[in-house]
Amino acid sequence: MLSLELDDIQGYLIRGYAHMMYSRFVYLQISDAKAAKKWLGKSWKTMTTAAYIPKKSEISGTHLNIAFTYDGLKKLGLKPATLGTFSREFRQGMVSPHRTRLLGDFENSAPEKWKWGGPGNTPIHLCLMVFGNDKESTDDIKKDKIVCVNYYEELRAQFAENGLEEVLYIDGQTQPENKEHFGFRDGISQPIIEGSGRIGSKDDVIKAGEFIFGYKNGFGVYPDTPLIKAEQGNLNLLPPDAEGSGLKDIGRNGTFMVMRQLEQHVNTFWSYINDQTKNEDGSINEAESLKLAAKIMGRWQSGAPITLFPDKDPGIMSDINGFGYSKFDKDGLKCPFGSHLRRNNPRDSVDDHGVKESLKLSNQHRIMRRARLYGEIFEGSPTNNTPKGEVGLLFCCFNADISRQFEFLQYTWSNLPKTKELYNDPDPIIGVSEKPSAAEQQNFTVQDLPVSRTIKDLPRVITVKGGGYFFFPSISVLRFLSTI
Amino acid sequence: MGQNSTTILVPVIKNKAQDLLDLLAEIKDDLEQGNLPQFEELNIIHYARWVVIDHGKSWIDDPDERTPKLLFVIDYDGSETDLLQRLGTDAANLLDKVYSLCEHFPISEKRNPASRLTYLANHTIKDAAVYIGAPGRTVQQIKEERNLRNFIRAHLDSKTWDNLSAQAIHQEIKKEVLSKEAFLFLNEKTKMPGINWLGLVFLGLVLLVLLPLILVWVLFIHFFYERKDENFTRKRSQLDDEFMTELEKYEDFKNQNQFTQLVDMKEGNARLITIRGMFLLSRSLIRFVFVQGKLMGIPTIHFAKWVLFDNNKRVLFFSNFDGSWQQYLGDFIDNSGWGLTGIFSNTKVFPKTNFLMTGGAYDEERFLAWSRNSELVTNVWYASYPDLSIKNVNNNTKIRIQLMKALSERQAAKFLKLI
Repeated sequence: MLSLELDDIQGYLIRGYAHMMYSRFVYLQISDAKAAKKWLGKSWKTMTTAAYIPKKSEISGTHLNIAFTYDGLKKLGLKPATLGTFSREFRQGMVSPHRTRLLGDFENSAPEKWKWGGPGNTPIHLCLMVFGNDKESTDDIKKDKIVCVNYYEELRAQFAENGLEEVLYIDGQTQPENKEHFGFRDGISQPIIEGSGRIGSKDDVIKAGEFIFGYKNGFGVYPDTPLIKAEQGNLNLLPPDAEGSGLKDIGRNGTFMVMRQLEQHVNTFWSYINDQTKNEDGSINEAESLKLAAKIMGRWQSGAPITLFPDKDPGIMSDINGFGYSKFDKDGLKCPFGSHLRRNNPRDSVDDHGVKESLKLSNQHRIMRRARLYGEIFEGSPTNNTPKGEVGLLFCCFNADISRQFEFLQYTWSNLPKTKELYNDPDPIIGVSEKPSAAEQQNFTVQDLPVSRTIKDLPRVITVKGGGYFFFPSISVLRFLSTI
Repeated sequence: MGQNSTTILVPVIKNKAQDLLDLLAEIKDDLEQGNLPQFEELNIIHYARWVVIDHGKSWIDDPDERTPKLLFVIDYDGSETDLLQRLGTDAANLLDKVYSLCEHFPISEKRNPASRLTYLANHTIKDAAVYIGAPGRTVQQIKEERNLRNFIRAHLDSKTWDNLSAQAIHQEIKKEVLSKEAFLFLNEKTKMPGINWLGLVFLGLVLLVLLPLILVWVLFIHFFYERKDENFTRKRSQLDDEFMTELEKYEDFKNQNQFTQLVDMKEGNARLITIRGMFLLSRSLIRFVFVQGKLMGIPTIHFAKWVLFDNNKRVLFFSNFDGSWQQYLGDFIDNSGWGLTGIFSNTKVFPKTNFLMTGGAYDEERFLAWSRNSELVTNVWYASYPDLSIKNVNNNTKIRIQLMKALSERQAAKFLKLI
């Protein structure tokens, strides 16, 4: 049985830090590489690892993790030959003409309009992820915020002398019930990395190489890990390439991190759904509205899967995740084929494949999600749908193959309207175009008896505000980077 | 009416390659802006592409100096002669512009439909295996059936159907549809091709009889060839960035995409015999089994084919498909790895194989990198129904067939699920 080197892996990849309700994602530039390296030489010790701490009282009240963009690694002084071994997606970053097409970042979501990470913004070199939890209290976001912000201030006081310059920060929050702004419980289904010590359904146990370099992936081969092509720094700190190329592996125990700031248009979302389900007199039919929204999402607001609870929300917060579609919902009569969750994780029901093959295919496209809320905490519903100011999700996920995992989900399973046997159905949450061409329909099909129904003219309910691809290195690589 | 595929290869006039590339770029722009109705108006072309080969990066470690050539690939309805005749008549301007930059094209005074036909026909090269995702369906039929499905869908959405039996709904749809002139074509019967079990059993028996020979052959290939192969060892991160950017310029604008690949055969008759054997097997399977929209388990291909040319020294592969090749390819390795390895391991610099059974296409990372690396820019690509997936096309035919049948309640319920 494979056992991961947890004390060399940064913690956020393995653990969601859910109890740390307040976090600050600080995007920085390296203004002085020498000073930054010196800082890395000390600060690697303060980065939170994935090592398991059995005693709750011994878990620190603050957590810290770090990730670099391609520009950041370059600025630190990693040699071009080595930089060239990183995947094309990471080197290009989230913005290129082709990638923009794949990700569907047009109109108000166009990179030119982004607040960070776009062509008109100050380039970002690294992201510091600062988390806080008040050990004396439980689920008290205000107190967690104080701990988080104090820790951030402590770090910030030394940015200048450490050769760092803050570009911006985004505060991320979680809720005890983990509901996002549309009002749905989020983050229930997560892959379990083989060897991470976490437990769960065996269908969710994924080969470590899908999420961490240096281990075999779902295809039984090693992911495309970055390697040292030009010698520099203290190479003794790095392990050899597991595949036996003889080169040192700078990827092992690290991975890629995708970040996207997604503004959520809560009002657009619920107004549209209310309108589709309204009573004859024009008033809101709350039950029907909630039901259509659950069909669109794939779970009720409580998190209960609509495949198991087709009629109404059982109400209590649900973590139920051990279910499939093939046995009880083959025809999509409960959870429609086009729903956000079903298409992004079709579980045991991919196209017309059998259960085993489907699970295998689904698991070739998993991501480790780490989303946090930004803006005023708001729980949307049919009757409560106008938050104050901008609210959204700071989407974040980990994967070893950005193309086959994150980008595949966004393009092939979300933006393309052809999932299963569908014709004109993009993902209703993240795949709808803001301005479709005249001939293009954007529908959501509700499979039903005697005939399925078409919910027409979906509006785009999110706007991309920024984003980037980051390298999330191992602890030893942080040490190594301080020596280059 | 049957579907056919034709490949035409002509040498480009010396020093005219760049002019041709520029012209094709213009044609591409015109097509995208809808200013090039010729193909559309013919209404028999499913897909067409022009690809300039041998003008730059297009061969691997090849000592021969090559001269640029122009490939024209057309997937269409009816006979080749008819297609070329119509192209030479209705798309004469376009052809003349393109082929006046190519060798041996008739001089302007001598250009007429007949001379154009002769020219193109004289330069066709033979396809090794052609796959069609919706055999028997003409462009016209695909479009008619699309309209039919859209009409039924809109009709279903126009009112509520509660408390009606599936049979009653089926009847009502049928009545509504048949009252429309646009759907008179429904009087013509059609059917979905089925798997030819007899052919399949026969093929199975032949393979069984040949099994000892095949096993000996694989061992022979392994010990005398496979172990000496020069292998493709790069990963995707190590591909040429500039070339990748160039390929990307032609991709992911619509729901369908194209793929053109050119590879060199390994030397020796053993490899040639193996690839010919694989093509024969592919042709048989395409005829008997792969008739319902899946090629070796791949459910997203409309038209694809392999061409062995240049004195059997090179192999071309063309595909017209739904979605993104790079993103999807990995999903098909399980089902189609044997076929892809069986064919492409006979070409130079392929990921390392073992007894033709492991490695090769099953080495996901290198196989994806190899596939991308041997791809060519498709200079002009025409797709006549880019809004339809191959699943949509086949589903639409099913709808049409079931609509016209008398159905039991259960069958009618199944029919309604299709829409």
